[in-house]
Amino acid sequence: MSVISKDLRSFLALLEQEGQLVRVKEEVMPEPDIASAGRAAANFKNGPAVLFEKVRGYNTKVVTNVHGSWENHALMLGLPKDTPVKDQFAELNRRWDMFPVPPKVVSRDQAPCKENVITENINLFDVLSLYRINDQDAGFFISKAAVVTADHNDPGNFDKMNVGTYRIQVKDKDRVGIQALAFHDIAVHLEQAERQNKPLPIAITLGNNPLVTFMASTPIGYEQNEYEFVGALQNGEPLEIVQSDLYEHLYVPAGSEIVLEGYIEPRVREVEGPFGEFPGSYSGSRKQCVVKIERITHRTDPIFENLYLGIPWTEIDYLMALNTSVPLYKQLKRDFPEVVAVNAMYTHGIGVIISTKCRFGGYGKSVAFRLLSTPHGMPYSKVVIVVDEFVDPFNLEQVMWAITTRVKPDKDVSIIENCPGMPLDPSSVPAGMHSKLIIDATTPVAPEPNPRDVELLMPPAKTGYWEDRLKELWNKGGK
Amino acid sequence: MTCPRCDSENVRIMVTAPVDNAWEVYLCEKCHYSWRSTEDIHISEKFKLTDEKIDAMGVIPPVPPLD
Ligand SMILES: [Zn+2]
Repeated sequence: MSVISKDLRSFLALLEQEGQLVRVKEEVMPEPDIASAGRAAANFKNGPAVLFEKVRGYNTKVVTNVHGSWENHALMLGLPKDTPVKDQFAELNRRWDMFPVPPKVVSRDQAPCKENVITENINLFDVLSLYRINDQDAGFFISKAAVVTADHNDPGNFDKMNVGTYRIQVKDKDRVGIQALAFHDIAVHLEQAERQNKPLPIAITLGNNPLVTFMASTPIGYEQNEYEFVGALQNGEPLEIVQSDLYEHLYVPAGSEIVLEGYIEPRVREVEGPFGEFPGSYSGSRKQCVVKIERITHRTDPIFENLYLGIPWTEIDYLMALNTSVPLYKQLKRDFPEVVAVNAMYTHGIGVIISTKCRFGGYGKSVAFRLLSTPHGMPYSKVVIVVDEFVDPFNLEQVMWAITTRVKPDKDVSIIENCPGMPLDPSSVPAGMHSKLIIDATTPVAPEPNPRDVELLMPPAKTGYWEDRLKELWNKGGK
Repeated sequence: MTCPRCDSENVRIMVTAPVDNAWEVYLCEKCHYSWRSTEDIHISEKFKLTDEKIDAMGVIPPVPPLD
């Protein structure tokens, strides 16, 4: 197994070594070049990260599509780049159980993110090569930050410190808008502060170890700390973190390229958006929170990392694929050990496929009910497909086979009305409400009758042997 | 200069390019739209803003009562 990268720089070096990074040395324009390249890279099946060395008017390099292929995703986990998705899922599940792996707190002089400090005349444009991502966005957005906040009433409680990804709109040289949806952990912290009319301290970290970014966009419990999960996903190797300069109760990844420290202005809401969102359409303008930036620390010659979002699949879909699937799988598995795998990688879990063995009639449908009552599944998941334990939920051809040969629509398709919905899903009306669709594509088991029981076609005895043999001959060019 | 989104004249320069003065970024202080001098801006009718639209916008998250 190759090494798991400790920071963005070492990961980019690994990607380059593995042929998964493209360097653009010629000068490009901020618009439309950077976003266009992000879209283009995602259009390839094994798309590379794209590093722009020179952006007109800026000092800072920018990299995009870092998570944007299964090859890059495997390398993030320190696995060979051709590792199948199902195997990456299994490896993530194995490491997940190592949680918690407490992070290692390093001193300020050991933290690369503190190499340079800006405290006066804060100008984000000096260190970030900001650009418009989608044409109708209201400005330049930071789409891939790991944002750190703490419980306002219990600031010393490490478990309640939250690291999350929220969209950020640049509104001035030292001021940004941030989206804190009511069901996000940051909104809990914000409400505590706003009830007391107090600013909420915040650290916005950019250009992180790819597993930090991965965990920041993973739905986990309020009292579960993301840094302790990163340690687990690093195969038990603690993440190095360092105290924020301004707030002693906030900690940031020591290897971040850039850290913006400041506070959310209490009880202030300003026009934010539109922004092209992960469901592949714009979310409109709303009045949202504002952050004042008071301090920037950054590595020498920093790299600005950002992601493109478009009609799926683009980088964000790779980033939010298995990190949505694994926690849902763990929650289901706890109560239903028959569940084999969960593929929740369609639009951040709006579409989910569950593979399970059925213990008794109606079991598949009940597993779907459980998914729809998990903290993430409740608002997000809308289309739930349940397949037998021998169907690979990451293999859509197999899933379609299960649907075409197992589903009796009059009894296996259920619609549940008047449930929570994901507000950014444009079919959620009113935004935040939805109906749910369950397709039970499992084979009926008793006491449900199965009058046309069938015998499945099994692979011939030497299929495994011939897979290897054919590969061998194929690699030799058929000679 | 007027804001291409809300037609306000309350527009200022947010920032000039750190290198070569290659461009300027403008900011509308009313609707917080921003754009770069090198961009060709066409705001879709759907996203144009008026006072009525701004007044009717949702507030996310809601501002809680004071303790
Ligand atoms: Zn305006």
